[in-house]
Amino acid sequence: MNPFFRRILWRLIAGLGVLWGAATLTFLTINTTGGDPAIAILGGGEAVPTPAVLARVRQDYHLDQPLYQQYLIYVAKLARGDLGESYRLRIPVTRAIAQQLGPTVQLAVWAGLSAVTISILIALLTARRSRWVRNVSSGTELVASSMPGFVLGIVLLLLFSFRLHWLPASGQNSGKALILPTLTLAIPMSALLTQVLRNQLEEILEQPFITTARARGVSEAGIRLGHALRHALIPVVTLSGSFFGMLLGGAVIAETLFARQGVGRLVADATVNKDVPLVLGVTLLAAAVYVLVNLAVDLINAVIDPRTRTT
Amino acid sequence: MRPRLSFSTILTVAAAPGVLFLAAGCNRGVSDSAARPSAGASEINEAGFVKYPESDYTQLDPAAGRSGGTLRVSTTTDTAILDPHGVSATYIQWFGRLVFDNLVYLDPTGVPQPWLAQSWTLSPDGRTYVFRLRRDVTFSDGSRFDAEAVRLNLEHMRDPATRSTLAARYIAPYVDGRVVDDFTFEAHLSQPYTPFLHVLAQSWLAMISPKQIRENPRSAVAAPIGSGPFILENYTRQKGLRFVRRSDYHWAPAVLHHEGPAFLEHIEVDIIPEALIRYSGLASGQYDLTLEAPPQNAVAIRADSQLVLDRRIRSGIPNRGLAFNTEKPPFDDVRVRRALALAVDREGIVQMVGFGEYQPKTDFLAATTPYYDPSFRDALRYDPAAANRLLDEAGWTGRDSAGFRTKDGQRLGAEFLVSELATPSAVTVAIQADAKKIGFELRLTQLPATQVTDRRSAGTFQAISTGVWHTNTPDALYIIHHSDEISTPAHVGQNTARLRDAVFDDLVARARQTSDPAALKELYSKAQHRLTEVVPAIPLYENYTFIAYRKRLHGVLYDTSHNTPLLLGAWLAEDS
Repeated sequence: MNPFFRRILWRLIAGLGVLWGAATLTFLTINTTGGDPAIAILGGGEAVPTPAVLARVRQDYHLDQPLYQQYLIYVAKLARGDLGESYRLRIPVTRAIAQQLGPTVQLAVWAGLSAVTISILIALLTARRSRWVRNVSSGTELVASSMPGFVLGIVLLLLFSFRLHWLPASGQNSGKALILPTLTLAIPMSALLTQVLRNQLEEILEQPFITTARARGVSEAGIRLGHALRHALIPVVTLSGSFFGMLLGGAVIAETLFARQGVGRLVADATVNKDVPLVLGVTLLAAAVYVLVNLAVDLINAVIDPRTRTT
Repeated sequence: MRPRLSFSTILTVAAAPGVLFLAAGCNRGVSDSAARPSAGASEINEAGFVKYPESDYTQLDPAAGRSGGTLRVSTTTDTAILDPHGVSATYIQWFGRLVFDNLVYLDPTGVPQPWLAQSWTLSPDGRTYVFRLRRDVTFSDGSRFDAEAVRLNLEHMRDPATRSTLAARYIAPYVDGRVVDDFTFEAHLSQPYTPFLHVLAQSWLAMISPKQIRENPRSAVAAPIGSGPFILENYTRQKGLRFVRRSDYHWAPAVLHHEGPAFLEHIEVDIIPEALIRYSGLASGQYDLTLEAPPQNAVAIRADSQLVLDRRIRSGIPNRGLAFNTEKPPFDDVRVRRALALAVDREGIVQMVGFGEYQPKTDFLAATTPYYDPSFRDALRYDPAAANRLLDEAGWTGRDSAGFRTKDGQRLGAEFLVSELATPSAVTVAIQADAKKIGFELRLTQLPATQVTDRRSAGTFQAISTGVWHTNTPDALYIIHHSDEISTPAHVGQNTARLRDAVFDDLVARARQTSDPAALKELYSKAQHRLTEVVPAIPLYENYTFIAYRKRLHGVLYDTSHNTPLLLGAWLAEDS
């Protein structure tokens, strides 16, 4: 078999292991932190279920069985592709996630693209410039990358929505409503990316081959775009795998703040309400995407940087 | 119901100070010269009673309404389950009044009046109700409202598959029902249960289409079918709901003086978890009404000439910041409980959480509840001197180096169990600070809500944060404080304080069996008095409905059971 495909195959098999591990850890964590799941299913402390209702719920969800049996039942269903029914929403987990996936993907894609675009632009413009430009730029990046998502979101809201009235504060029917949540997610990421990218660029701009290019009379823009950027992008692509985690975490904040539909808001609610099947479902989805993104990162790196190819 | 602890609450709490500061600076409506508007006159009169205007309950000028238009509403909580029988959530109260009808409706004094039931009789032993039903009511799927529909609904409420968390318990004494003829229904109870008619007026016990219950009861979870003035057209999870008016609706309760269909053609409800965004959406005109106005924006809303801020005290059990475990030291000593209740400065707390809008509370039944008796509201008023005397009397006379009281070398203190938030709530910290002033050490423990619920049920706590219980009958006292309502592994109860007081138990149990108003008045008055003597919890402030709307919205009534806005007679003026 082609070693390239064999590598992909092995990565996918390892990915299945990651999924199983994620499911098991989440199952244990959420089930061993206390809290009667039957009461949680019935709405928590404010519920007054009759004994018949309590008994029925315990039976329906196998809560009357020991935890290891619940786990075996869960894994057996999982192997059949059945993620179970959300405790709180009373619909299949797959449907609950599917209903919310579109808006989250839309937000994540826009935020990811914006972050990369912004950081490439700023890094190209500020690398090896005057001390003053670099200080302003890296100072701003430090603030932007360390600001909590909800603070940034509220600042953006107050400025662009409440004071200037340029953009709507909530909703998802128009492209305009997507701008503020996208920026809330993209700004911290782009700040971090810019820092990495500029360091890379500056290192590369010191390299002999750049000097050679300059000597050949290539313009500064041509050097930065045509020669330095390609090399500087490799660590950025590698980093983008972990940015996926930032996106999911950021989606929880952005979706709640801007009243958007989405998986982030869904899982935040599910966690607070101890909705075990739904939390597990989203965890598995996140783990699966992680595996795929990292695989993609490997492949892209192999294309950009021939040195990382194993053959 | 207690307010749900949600991620957005955490977000709001964490972000509130910054938001307040920034939002105030950004508000276009408030000029610097504008005087701080009054928070609205207190709804409690000198005698301690609450009185709302007649225009709250009944349409004074039914001819004034303009038909048509779409009302745009924002609300905070997603309406995950829409079968009213299957959930105890707060949103069912407003949702229920749009889509469903009930057998009875309360008048402004809390007396059950006809709605889908035209009249009823009660047998002398108090165990058999005979309802005569309206003959002209249909559900929006075309099925007929009749005696069989009532029977099916009561069965659906208690069917374990419905997973009722409230309705089934509220009709627990219901044994079975008999369809006497098409429009006469006989309900048999195991024992006299005076609150029966009252609970039948609540949205959680509304009437669902019998066809839906027979053919596909599960479908009511996402798309319930009722006989109400509006039809649920569409529900998109985490986004919102859309309703369309039923043009042939003409069976509103007579109390409302509204004949015929609703004025509004459509209602669109968007789910907006963040308070700041609900406020800004209202101020900018994106929404006409928010069902949960943020108290922190009360000043700005009152200052805006285009907006109306409105609040109503909700009947039932008011906000209690802390429930004592009456079975465990140190709170097994009533003097210690009383001392702590006397030490809490509610005026300060009310300013902090209600921004001048809330009424402090020193007794145990909401002022809007039928048979509320304000006579005992001074018993637990803020009095740190009296609190100190009580602790001296109880033998806690020593003082340690940290300033806390001691007895036999032991420090006076208790663990105070609260649900996890990003930071402890301001109320919790205020109670802790007030306790310290009388030499009592409250040690905060924050745990996830599910674990707090566990320990609450098991009684393994000393003091615990607790909330409200909204219902439309003084039977709330039974639900929250009767010893039968202490949780056991098989029985989930709401008597968090684990109060076992034979005197109190007897009063509220007898009230359940009494239908004579004079006797009820006396029993409930004594029960309220008794609670101020046994002090199971620290009442803090009244529980509120807090709404805001644009002035183009007219005719908002308040539901007599839930004190929530009723939109049947609401109408929109033309855009000027």
